[in-house]
Amino acid sequence: MSPFVLTLYVLVWPVLVAGVLAVLCTAFGREAAEARREGRELV
Amino acid sequence: MPPADMDPPFGLLLTLGLLVLFYGGTFLMSARIGHKEENADSYMTAGHGIGFGVSAASMTATWIWASSMYASVTSGYTYGISGPIHYGLWGALMILFIYPFGRRIRKVAPHAHTLAEVMYARHGRSSQLMLAGSNVVGSVISLMSNFIAGGALISMLSPFSFVQGVVAIAAGVLLYTLWSGFRASVLTDFAQVVAMLGAVVVIVPALFLLLGGPSLFTEGAENLSPQQADFFSADAFLNQGAPYIAAVLAYAIGNQTIAQRLFAVREDLIKPTFVTATIGYGATVIGIGMIGVLALYAGITPAGGDPNNLLPQVAASYLPGVLLAVFFIMIIGSLSSTADSDLSALSSIAMADIYGQGVARRGGVDPKRMLFVGRLTMVVATAVAVVFASLQLNILDLLVFVGALWGALVFPVIASFYWGKVTNRAFTVSVLAALAVFLPVRFGAVPGTGLLPLLVEALAVVGVGVVLGLMVFGFLGTRPALVVGLLGSLASAPFVLGFLRDYQALTGSLVAYAVSTLVCWALSVRSATDFDFAEIGRRTGDFTDDAAAPAAPPADALSGARAEH
Repeated sequence: MSPFVLTLYVLVWPVLVAGVLAVLCTAFGREAAEARREGRELV
Repeated sequence: MPPADMDPPFGLLLTLGLLVLFYGGTFLMSARIGHKEENADSYMTAGHGIGFGVSAASMTATWIWASSMYASVTSGYTYGISGPIHYGLWGALMILFIYPFGRRIRKVAPHAHTLAEVMYARHGRSSQLMLAGSNVVGSVISLMSNFIAGGALISMLSPFSFVQGVVAIAAGVLLYTLWSGFRASVLTDFAQVVAMLGAVVVIVPALFLLLGGPSLFTEGAENLSPQQADFFSADAFLNQGAPYIAAVLAYAIGNQTIAQRLFAVREDLIKPTFVTATIGYGATVIGIGMIGVLALYAGITPAGGDPNNLLPQVAASYLPGVLLAVFFIMIIGSLSSTADSDLSALSSIAMADIYGQGVARRGGVDPKRMLFVGRLTMVVATAVAVVFASLQLNILDLLVFVGALWGALVFPVIASFYWGKVTNRAFTVSVLAALAVFLPVRFGAVPGTGLLPLLVEALAVVGVGVVLGLMVFGFLGTRPALVVGLLGSLASAPFVLGFLRDYQALTGSLVAYAVSTLVCWALSVRSATDFDFAEIGRRTGDFTDDAAAPAAPPADALSGARAEH
């Protein structure tokens, strides 16, 4: 594999992790807000 | 530069500060959980209705433990560029493959707390004992392993000793888990997953640049063997990937920490939770494993010749102060999230399977006493794990044993949720028979020549078919599973017969799958039993009448001691 492909191969994982992190944070924020609005515990 | 050659990068105050920051923060989070509605069911499953964000974060955090980060780096260093894939990808896919089984289990037992409890409802005491026993041993070993990882990290990066590190980690985890149990575990998992994933996003690119960036791949290419440089390395697949596929399927199916989240998440959110955890786990663990690949290209030699030292060694040698602190938090987060899940799993088993069903027989459950049993279990389990961790025992043999026990359980457990003919006798005998064959195979007691090793390899061929068939069965049903299993066995036979005997870990796992499947099938196929799966729902339910979950089906003789809704 060329250095360019290897660079992409190494760095694609942190990008994917960042995407998952964004999804989790968004969902958590939405659920926390809903729980607050409804006056109940988040868990 | 091996850590032994340098002063610890953290001082006493900084180490204490980071530990107080991490465990103080998680304790404050868990302290925000209200206790007005505290009851035994929410202590075990948070009322069966947690949302996607919390459950997906929790599933991801639980599945990523400190050992998986260390092992992925080791795999990258040992097997080269495909190494992290052969650790992380298969572990991630197993989360995905078990989700259809998870949906089925949740459907037949919507208000259960433990898988062992469901097995009791399905079969009886011996099946329950096998699942509960394997989980108790597995969770204590997992706790111990995480405490060892924490103690080793603290002793490597700070002036504290290994034992002081173990005690600090154990006290920190117990501090925030004890009071609210599973609720504290899942809520703090979110903060821990943010710390872990956030650290991966920063640390992997940082180390890539600090080790030389793209030019590293040109300058360090000579450090790789042809197999290490090959993305389709047979070495990596046979030594790392294949045994791991067999092992993690068993871990995912039999593990109470996963089952507990399955029973806790809102039923319609099981699929997105599992899919997100699959991607989150895979990207995180493979990403961290890239540090092993980079270290290989950079020609770094592991301290003491042990590749397990590589991750903290590279971090301590190359990361600047702030990023090293981020790395420290990442590892502490990964081991704490798994350790708190193990404590919650152990307490649930003690509450539901030991106290709940033991007392139910005598006619009454006291929810407050049940909570006390759960908390006491956490304290005792932590103490036991600290003692074993302090002895720095080699945990590999115990892990192998638990892995095999779960491997032997996979087919009987799955079949018990779909096939009404499976009896308690078939379940128990098949698991015991699988273990009886597994042990001599795994520990090299089978001679290397003659007919016997060939017979073992023939069983391993069947095991390949069973693993592949089970993966397909969850998504597509019996017929495609049989076709894929048969084709998988036929295709693998030329590569297994006369060859696999050199790979005892892989052979042992496959044999455990094969024997448990063959015996369970043989004892069940002619059975006149036709179990009504609705019975499981009627026999499992909430223990308290103020749980947030909707009413369980009417109680029968077994669940008579449970709450009548």
